[in-house]
Formats: sequence, structure tokens, C-alpha cells
Amino acid sequence: MDTLFLKSEDFFKFLDRISLDYELYVPCKINTTAKVKCDFGFSLPAEDYFLEKYTQLNEESIIFNEYRSIEPARTYFTPCKEEVSQYFCEDKKAKERPLAVYGIKNCDIFSLKIQDWVFLGPDVVDQQYKERRQSALIISGDCTAFKEACFCRAFDINPFVEEGFDFNLSPLNNGFLVDIATQKAKDIADSIKEVFSPATAGQLSGRASKRELVVRRLEEHLAQHKIPKKETLKDIVTSGYSSKIWQEQMKTCVECGGCVFMCDTCHCFLLSDEPVGENARRLRLWDGCLFKNFTLVAGGANPLKMRYMRLRNRYLKKFDFFIDNMGIQACCGCGRCIDVCPGKIDIRYILRRLYEEKYIPAA
Amino acid sequence: MKRNIYQPLEARVEEIIAETPTIKTFVLKPKFDFSFQTGQFIELTVPGAGEAPFTPSSDPGVKDKIDVTIMKVGRVTSYIHAIKEGMVLGIRGPFGQGYPLDKFKNKDVLIVGGGVGLAPLRSLLLSLFSDIDNYNKVVLRYGARTPVDIVYKDALPQWQKKKKVDILTTVDVGDATWKGHVGLVTTILKDLPVDLKKAVSIVCGPPIMMKFVTLKLLDLGFKPVDIYLSMEKSMSCGLGKCGHCRIGRYYACKDGPVFTFEQLKDIRDIWD
Repeated sequence: MDTLFLKSEDFFKFLDRISLDYELYVPCKINTTAKVKCDFGFSLPAEDYFLEKYTQLNEESIIFNEYRSIEPARTYFTPCKEEVSQYFCEDKKAKERPLAVYGIKNCDIFSLKIQDWVFLGPDVVDQQYKERRQSALIISGDCTAFKEACFCRAFDINPFVEEGFDFNLSPLNNGFLVDIATQKAKDIADSIKEVFSPATAGQLSGRASKRELVVRRLEEHLAQHKIPKKETLKDIVTSGYSSKIWQEQMKTCVECGGCVFMCDTCHCFLLSDEPVGENARRLRLWDGCLFKNFTLVAGGANPLKMRYMRLRNRYLKKFDFFIDNMGIQACCGCGRCIDVCPGKIDIRYILRRLYEEKYIPAA
Repeated sequence: MKRNIYQPLEARVEEIIAETPTIKTFVLKPKFDFSFQTGQFIELTVPGAGEAPFTPSSDPGVKDKIDVTIMKVGRVTSYIHAIKEGMVLGIRGPFGQGYPLDKFKNKDVLIVGGGVGLAPLRSLLLSLFSDIDNYNKVVLRYGARTPVDIVYKDALPQWQKKKKVDILTTVDVGDATWKGHVGLVTTILKDLPVDLKKAVSIVCGPPIMMKFVTLKLLDLGFKPVDIYLSMEKSMSCGLGKCGHCRIGRYYACKDGPVFTFEQLKDIRDIWD
């Protein structure tokens, strides 16, 4: 993998070049009313980032996002509502411009593995997803800070990216170190050779120490939360099946679905049909297991009729089903579900409680 | 262009047979090559209204037509019950794992059905009948709520006349015309003419019926690996992607709908 240096003043030349061939999304800062709930005195940032179309933004509002954006990366590959098929005729969809997404972090890269497992296999391929995913250009970036809710390192996921991208940006002094991981990234870089210079050994070691610093600060922060290790997750959610925590934590749930819709790894959807003139079309809509109709069958039976059952189901899916079937947990530690929840339901706290109930018996 | 997995293909409704006041059998003629294995299911689309999963009730050996027996019970099935002969529906599938007929060969095959649960079992029965020399015997125990609710009323007496076939029907509540057995289907699982050492059992019906029949079969000495269950779950895609039909480590649509009790016995709350 090549690593080059890109000066800040050439940054927009780089983005302009990409937007020639791609529908480019870039991060911008947005003000939210969300308050940091608790940061153990770490004074962590509270701003949020949102990815917008490059062409609709002016240069001043485009920045390097220090940590993950509000919306999960899957938004770009399986939007919340989209037509997936027409009926009884050739699908005549216009060919899409390939996507380029700048602002992706390692939590998103981890989660795209889950989305790929769902939509690219194991046996049946979602062609639309496949085309979009294969043609997309992923421009990831190191996290140079973290939000209160971020907990990737609790599951041994780094706040910087080492695989699964085309370009990766690491901010350094007056520019970026740019990792070039794929042929399509190399072709783009080669076409604007003049903006890059070779990375120096000093720059590389500078990046390494910046990365280490973020990891160390994040781990200090996470130590306060006492989140169980990923190796224990399957065990604690299955043995905690009858725990009172599910009911206790669901008291403040308003069933808004924010946790599942903002989740980087959630993938559930519903196919819904609607008439269009004489014909009809089929939509794929995001669905979520926290909604009461999720498992309702015609006739009225519903295996997840109580809210606590639905919360427990979500954890079993993430930490039992996916570990069984794919070997990794369907949680990247992005903390989006924590940020979004109006009921202050906190996955870190639930996992910690499940662990303590199993391994630390009450005195 | 690769196949779009969400797109339904056309099938014309050739005939509609009223089985009971709430159950109809729809004979469909797909406008494309379609074949399935007994026990596999399809997603049936009412254009513009939506789709729902059903297991065909016809003999998979019949290639140009498929029967689907449907009870009017929810939103999509209400639309389906309103359609007329000649109209066009959509089909996706077949999906999932059907009945493993190879494992039934040279065995006593006990089939226990409840209500409209006889629909997928009819497909299985017809498959077994067409190759009956390969099976020791076929024993059907079928329960319906009342005599009116019995499906395939005309076919049942004809099946009974076939060689190596033993059928007993019961109703929960009888009426003036009913001269047969009265009681839940579990009450006709005594003194079964099957040799447990070489028998398999297949159960399909409402969850509460499947639960008590399974417990009864275990009681009688059937091994969990020899009890085959058709699990009903909320489904959307049929392909193991939409996430609705998870049962423990499985998806009912992809790994089922037919499971052995051995696969399910350690999963909690499977009957809810």
C-alpha cells in the first residue's frame, strides 16, 4: 500500500478529481441540541457531522470529521426507502453514478462487513447492493478525537482504519497522509500526481504517535464504563436471558426506532408494495426489531409482544446470532444508538450489567 | 443482467376452490419455469397490495401448476381471497428447506396436521403417494376445529383407500352430522400403528398444536431428530436478509421452514 502526502491547500483538487467520476459525499459540521450525558470529566466534543453531497456545499463547510458522522455508513448502500423492483417487466432503472463516501470511520468499515455478509451472501446476492458496493469509492479517515458515546476499542476495534477502504486520510500538520489501498484509488492518485508528495519517515511516525494518543485517551475513557470484552458477549447475553435488566431498561423506551435506524450494523427491512398507475412497484423500507409489529404474524401471534422481549431479541441478534453465524458481533461500538436514544438506554450499561450479573454475584 | 431477488414473476389464477368458509385453494399457472420441493415455500404477491409466504399444497411432480391453500386471516390473505379466476398474481421462490424425503425412505411416516396446516402436508402426502413403494406406511392424524373447518374433504376419503395409508380425523367440537372422533389431535395419537424404531413424524399446524403434539411425540418415544416441524414466523424477503424470522441461530426462511426438533430444542420460547 502506498502512502503519500497531500497538502491542505490541494485538498479540494483531490475532492474535485473524485467528484468528476463519483457522486461524492463529504462531511460537514452540524449543530445539534444533543448534550453529552456523562463524560467522566474528559470534556469530550459534542458537535456532530453529517455527510452531504459535495456539489451542494461551499468549500468552507467541508471539513475533516474528527469522528464518525451521525448517520451510519449503510445509509449510502441501502437507503431507508428505495424501490427495489417493478412488477412483471424488465427492471428499467437508470444506471447510477458510483458513490464516493468521504468521512467513513473504522466503526463504519467494520459494520460494512456485516452489511456485506447480509446482502452479498452467504447464498443469495442483492444485485443492487453489490453493484453499488463494488463501484463505490471509500475514503476513510483516522479518528482524531472521539465522542462520549464512542466505544470501539472496548471491542478491539481501532479508531483508525487499516483495511476495507480505497483512500484513507490521516490529518498531519498542514495536510494529510493518504493511504492508497486499491487500484481504482491508485488510478485516481496517478491522474493528479502533482498534488501528492511521498510520505516521509517522520510523517509516518508522527501519524503512529497521533494514533496511539487517541487510542490511549479512548481507553482511559472506556475504563470508566467497564464494558465487557467481546469474547464474553455471546455468553452474557444468552445466560442473561431471564435477567431483569431487559424490563428495567425498557421502562423509558418510546419505541421511536432510533437505535435500530442509526445502527451501523442493523440491516432489517420490510418489502412493501404500492400501486403506480396500472402497475405496481416494490419498496425496501428499513424495519427494526424494536417495533411491536416486527414479528407479528397474520392471525395475531407475536413472539416479541412485550418491549423487553424486543430489546433482548436485539441483543441476541447482535451478540448470539451473528457470532454464531459470522464469527463477529454485530456491534462496532460507534455509540450512535446511545446518542440517539431519548430514553437514555445505554448499550454499554446493559452489557456491563449482564456481565456483572453473571460473573460478580451480589454480596 | 443478474436476477433481481425481490422481483415477483407472473402467475395466472386458473381455478379457485372453496375448501371451508375461510379457506380457499388457488390453482396457479406460472408464466415461467417453476418447480419446488415439497415443504419449500413461495412468496405470493397481490400486485400493489403486498406479499405473504405460503407453502404450496400440490404435488411437486406436477410441473405446470401449483396449488396454494390459503386461510383468510390477515391483510394480504384478505386481498387474495377477493381475487377472481383469470387474474394475475406474483410469485417469488421457492425458498427454504423442504421435507427431506430421503430420510423418510423405508420408514413409517407419521404426519400430524392441524387446521390449514394440512396444506403443506397435502403436498408431502401426494409426494409420498406417488412413490409409496419406497415408504413403509403413511399414517395421517388430522385435527380441525369443527367439521366445517376440515380442508380437502373430498380428498381425505380417497387417500384413506390407498394402500399403506392410515388416516384418522378428529374435530375439537362436533356437530349433528359428525360421526367421527371428537377431541384435540393429541387425543388420537394413542396406539399409533407405527414402529418407533423406524418411524419419523412430521407436524404442521398452529404453534400451540405443534407444541403439544411435539411433547406428546417425545412422550411416545420419538427422538427429537425424528420430529420435523414447520415453523411459522413473520417473513418478508424469504432470503435470509430482512431479519424478521430469526429463530436462535437460524432464519426460518432460509434454514427452515422445516426444522427437526433436535435443531430447535435448546432455543427458548420457540412456540410463542
